[in-house]
Amino acid sequence: MRRVVISGVGAISALGNDVASLVGGIEEGKSAVRYMEGWDQYIGLRSLVAAPAELKNEKAIPRKSRRSMGRMSIFAVQATEQSLDDAGLGRESLSSSRLGCIIGSTMGSAESLSETFETMLPERDLSRLSAMKFFQVVSHTAAMNVAQYLGITGCVMATSAACASSLQAIGLGYDLIRMGTQDVMVCGGSEELHPTVTGSFDILFATSTGYNDDPQRTPRPFDAERDGLVCGEGCGILVLEERERALERGAKIYAEIVGYHTSGSGEHVSQSNRASIVHCLREALASAELSPGDIDYISAHGTATKHGDEVEAKAIAEVFGDSVPVSGLKGYIGHTLGASGALELIVSLAVMKNGVIYPTLNLNTVDEGCRGICHVREPLRRDVRTVMKNCFAFGGINAALVCRHPEN
Amino acid sequence: MTEQEIAETVNEILEEYFEIERERLLPQVNIFEDLELDSLDIVDLVVAMQKKFNVRIRDDERIKSIRTLEDIYRFVAALEKEGVSPAAGHF
Repeated sequence: MRRVVISGVGAISALGNDVASLVGGIEEGKSAVRYMEGWDQYIGLRSLVAAPAELKNEKAIPRKSRRSMGRMSIFAVQATEQSLDDAGLGRESLSSSRLGCIIGSTMGSAESLSETFETMLPERDLSRLSAMKFFQVVSHTAAMNVAQYLGITGCVMATSAACASSLQAIGLGYDLIRMGTQDVMVCGGSEELHPTVTGSFDILFATSTGYNDDPQRTPRPFDAERDGLVCGEGCGILVLEERERALERGAKIYAEIVGYHTSGSGEHVSQSNRASIVHCLREALASAELSPGDIDYISAHGTATKHGDEVEAKAIAEVFGDSVPVSGLKGYIGHTLGASGALELIVSLAVMKNGVIYPTLNLNTVDEGCRGICHVREPLRRDVRTVMKNCFAFGGINAALVCRHPEN
Repeated sequence: MTEQEIAETVNEILEEYFEIERERLLPQVNIFEDLELDSLDIVDLVVAMQKKFNVRIRDDERIKSIRTLEDIYRFVAALEKEGVSPAAGHF
């Protein structure tokens, strides 16, 4: 099997429109969560907080390319361009059939989907619909738009597994390069905020509803006073590259991907399942040929739901005990759903590079059910050589990826 | 609507929906070759015209023969002449 490294990163998040803003904001302990004006007009929507990103410079994308893009695809194009520039890959390299892209998301543009029905349903009139809505709302809208705009002609795919979408995209890209099918893969996830997205979690009683007057105190992963998730938005993109190719061209290497596993729980559509998570984490370690003690940092899924955090903490405790530092990043940027795996992996790369583990924001009192693991509650200076990123999604989808410092 | 008003309204659509600079909107320009619209844009042009002129024209065969901006102006003028006053919105 060939070896795979990460040679470029790009990010749009609620903390800013590049990787430096994302990492810098987390270093400063900033929360991007705020009260959402106008959301109170939705009857039954109890969670009125979110972590919105800023859509800017979209007109830099020519209209003919932009017309098929919803908000999430614009984020994806911008983050991808950042990642390619960061990797030092010129646009001329993109038309090789050996370079592909996999960008995941929960679904297509929620805003465009909502507009479609708002246009069509009042009079059941399809003749009012724009031709472009289809391209904005399809599940592969981000991958398709990125590939079309940049002229990517290798494998183009979209993973769709809700909150595990981008980690599956990265895992799949890793496999394609390992197997020799592709040489470079632009992988990640993109997601956009909309009241209907928060609403879909709200009706399941999974959102944070008790901090509308004090938004920056939520979400509170693993905390005793957590009351649910807070939606965010943005896009994280990583350039995955066959190691020898990256070394030959003198590319900057952030990390090597050394292990990955994804699996289903087969148990329940919404409730996390401890045994299946334990299985997934162990299989990811086995694929990396590592033992639990080899992991220096775990970037948790940690959505701040009552059930999910407890199950994840217990699963981590079962596999790793209480010696491996664990933190979650959703207190800073909200739950970016299909983009979370990629965005949070990018921050994990910064953890390795900077030798600082960023703490779980808003974790003041570890909940009794979330004890037994090494929670990071203050910045922790440490030489971090190997990290594990976890994502667990509705539908019982588990995913875990293991990365190693490039100098190992 | 006068011919001038029709042209103005069509030009507004092209400026607003398709981001085409006003100085390029000359009657004789070919909307495909000069303004670079394609078949997907034509669907949206029709949607925009329906909204702006309050007409229903999606299935009108004459749309297929439109090539220039002037063809669009003439098409709208013809709708009006047929007693389908675009401004009144009876069509």
